[in-house]
Amino acid sequence: MKRLLGIAAAVFLLGLTGAAGWLPWWSLAFWGGLAGWAVARGAAQGFWGGFIGGLFLWLVFALVRDFDNGGILSAHIGALLMGVPRWGLWGITGLLGGLLGGMGALTGYQARAFYRHLRQ
Amino acid sequence: MGLLHLPIPVGQQRLPALGCFFNPFSGFWRNAEPQRGPVLRSEVQLSGLSGPVEVVYDERLVPHIFAGNLEDALRVQGYVTAQHRLWQMDLSARRAAGRLSEVLGERTLELDRLARRRGMVLAAENAVGQWRRSAEGMRLLEAYCAGVNAWIAQLSPADYPIEFKLLGYAPEPWSPLKTALIVENMAETLCGGENDLLSTLSLQQFGRETFDYLYPEWNPKQRPIVPDTGQWRGIVGSLGGETSASAPLPGRLSAQPPSEEYFVGSNNWAVAGSKTQNGAPFLCNDPHLSLSLPSIWFQIQLCTPEMNCYGVSLQGIPGIIIGFNEHLVWGVTNAGHDVADWYRLRWADAARTRYTVDGQEYPVRWRVERIGIRGREPLIDSVRYTIWGPVVYDHQPEHPLRDCAFRWVTHDEPHPNSMRSFLFLNTAKTYEDYREAIAYFDAPAQNFALATRQGEIAMTVQGQLPARRREQGRFLLDGSQKASAWAGFIPNEHLPALRSPSWGFVFSANQHSTPPSYPYYYTSRDFDDYRGRHLHDRLSSLQAANADSMARIQNDNFSRRAADALPVLLRLLKREALDGEGRRWVEELERWDCRYEAHSTVAPVYEVWFDTCYVRTWDEMLDDSSRQALLLPERWRFIELLEKDPNSPFFDRKDTPERETASDIATDAFLRMQAFFKKYPEKRRPWGQFRPVHIRHLAQIEAFGRTVEIGGHPTALNALSSTHGPSWRMMVELGDGVRAWGIYPGGQSGNPGSRFYDNFLNLWAQGRYHDLFFLKKAEDLPASAMFARQTVVPR
Repeated sequence: MKRLLGIAAAVFLLGLTGAAGWLPWWSLAFWGGLAGWAVARGAAQGFWGGFIGGLFLWLVFALVRDFDNGGILSAHIGALLMGVPRWGLWGITGLLGGLLGGMGALTGYQARAFYRHLRQ
Repeated sequence: MGLLHLPIPVGQQRLPALGCFFNPFSGFWRNAEPQRGPVLRSEVQLSGLSGPVEVVYDERLVPHIFAGNLEDALRVQGYVTAQHRLWQMDLSARRAAGRLSEVLGERTLELDRLARRRGMVLAAENAVGQWRRSAEGMRLLEAYCAGVNAWIAQLSPADYPIEFKLLGYAPEPWSPLKTALIVENMAETLCGGENDLLSTLSLQQFGRETFDYLYPEWNPKQRPIVPDTGQWRGIVGSLGGETSASAPLPGRLSAQPPSEEYFVGSNNWAVAGSKTQNGAPFLCNDPHLSLSLPSIWFQIQLCTPEMNCYGVSLQGIPGIIIGFNEHLVWGVTNAGHDVADWYRLRWADAARTRYTVDGQEYPVRWRVERIGIRGREPLIDSVRYTIWGPVVYDHQPEHPLRDCAFRWVTHDEPHPNSMRSFLFLNTAKTYEDYREAIAYFDAPAQNFALATRQGEIAMTVQGQLPARRREQGRFLLDGSQKASAWAGFIPNEHLPALRSPSWGFVFSANQHSTPPSYPYYYTSRDFDDYRGRHLHDRLSSLQAANADSMARIQNDNFSRRAADALPVLLRLLKREALDGEGRRWVEELERWDCRYEAHSTVAPVYEVWFDTCYVRTWDEMLDDSSRQALLLPERWRFIELLEKDPNSPFFDRKDTPERETASDIATDAFLRMQAFFKKYPEKRRPWGQFRPVHIRHLAQIEAFGRTVEIGGHPTALNALSSTHGPSWRMMVELGDGVRAWGIYPGGQSGNPGSRFYDNFLNLWAQGRYHDLFFLKKAEDLPASAMFARQTVVPR
């Protein structure tokens, strides 16, 4: 569990480097990959750790921006996406962040396992 | 991963790549502005400035720019305009340049092709070529462009306006050519239309006598902008008759259903101090354009030691287009003259590479247009150019204009100072300055109203207006004779103008510029026939005017047309043919005050009845699928025929053996109107709901648009159709100080994620105004009304 939370925290903290907006969206998967490589001891642990970290990161930032904005933009975007409610946009954002972090961490773990296999 | 990284096609639309779009750091969430408003840096560095510039934003996000000279002011104008409206600038320039398909794909290809083929880019290139001849003008324009580019240069993709993210492309640097393209866009909207083909087809169909009966050019009830006071005595204007192409036309016109009434208009008027409460002159202006979000206008104040000017600007054009300074106020409406003609060519070879004029052969010049299309190979389009202009429709074998060249005033090289015309006006102090400033203005021709602090009022119809022979340009012209060419332009001193008339007001509402006694012939696609008359009546009876009475005029929903037509229709109606419900509706119509108020339940009844009468009468002009194949007579002529010639053969329907009269048409239309409301009971609503006003997003993104249910009608002074209307309402009183009120249906920000995107809209819909902050210095803005303060310093 500690490791899972460690991965999540690593993904969250490393992912904060994207806050300035200069890094591409897939940088989160890269950070997940690093955390998965360094910390994960199992595929499920890697995925869920990365997932939680990515989910929280994207969700928290979406929530902060949305509340700061008073929901003006999310109303427009929801209407644009065929009536998705505000909470639906939060959900999609969190889910995408989670998947990115999770898939990245899983890939990191698998890469490390493969590397070890090669060395053996 | 592809799902996250690549745009997702849904039908003709493309949804943005999910990963980019939902990323809260650089996707759409990034455009969610804090509720308070945009975060503006308190200090900005800008290359090229000669000194620091102060920008204070008032509580409505209107920037007030205080600079040491005009060049610095315009540089910062470019910067702040781009800061708030960058995507709108990009789209407008793309539209005129025929470059929409580069970002929107194949669905805009025909639009792009037409823009190129109509010579929009060529016209913009010509304009820039001329502007370069004025070193001072070019320096100012380049300063503006540099300001725009400074904003673009510091943007990261995360900071792009949301539309760039949705459509998946990046902004490009701004240039003088793009400014010229924005000017062309306005020209296309305001002076790109004509009726030449429809008039020619109608003349061929009906013959001269019937044509004159159906389509008289002068409405005897008309109140022209400039009356005849003997000022034109001795001027020899239009000589001789038309030189039109008489050969039958090939192909058929693929026209629109007739119900859509063409409508782009505006009102402006100035009232002398003798008619106002405070004894100070008053000027009002409300240009009626396509209503959009982001709004077409951007409010701004430019203050330098030489000038202090407030008003609305067009994105991409330096200076203020409609506004006021400490000395005078001006406003514009569209003159509406036809400045676009078609010349029928005589080809000298089957390949259409040579044509003859006065027996001499000329080769066509080719201009190759490369139209980029997203997701596809570009289209290479070769356009033929002749001495008259481009051959626009030769790529459509069935088009009746396929052998015609397009002559449009905006293709001509403008005056080198044409771009500075509004800048001169921004700094003008007197009537003479105003005349000198607008003398450089070429197109689209406008009615420039003026009021000065010295108490003068004036109106000038200004622009490059062809000096035509009688009826020249009303029909297709014969391109095989040099004699078909325009004989130059109406000299500036002969343009219709009015200076401080004894009756104390000047006004325009897109009606005829002059009565028929004006020595030069001109024609139009559609002069106004009702707003001008009603405005004249209101201004004639106006006494002790103040802001309230002026606002009531701008928001007046009374329709002169309905007032003309309704009594006639009611008289013609055979009441014995109506049922109980029909008779009740007639009673309501008899009580109706001809005001298109939002709550009126009678207005929709009248509207459907009138429109049905109109369409049922002109069955001769519609083709088998009820699309317009010939020119439809103007509504004023229709009402005149109802009243004065109810037995006209045109009231007879082609599809019945009986011979109908106006009375039969009015009765039949009434019954059809009743049937319409029975079939669609959901339409039986008050006017505001029956005809909602859509303020659409410029890229037609429905979720970014707004709909309001308000009164108004194209024939009322509050000229509102479902898509067009008062895009800026302004009232200015030039007393001891300047008092100004204004509003437009939108907001200063182009960002749908900003509270400033549409924050003026509700107030505008209620017919209310903002008291504008016209500052002498930055410190004059009360702290409670200040949103932000920026200092722009030289880099």
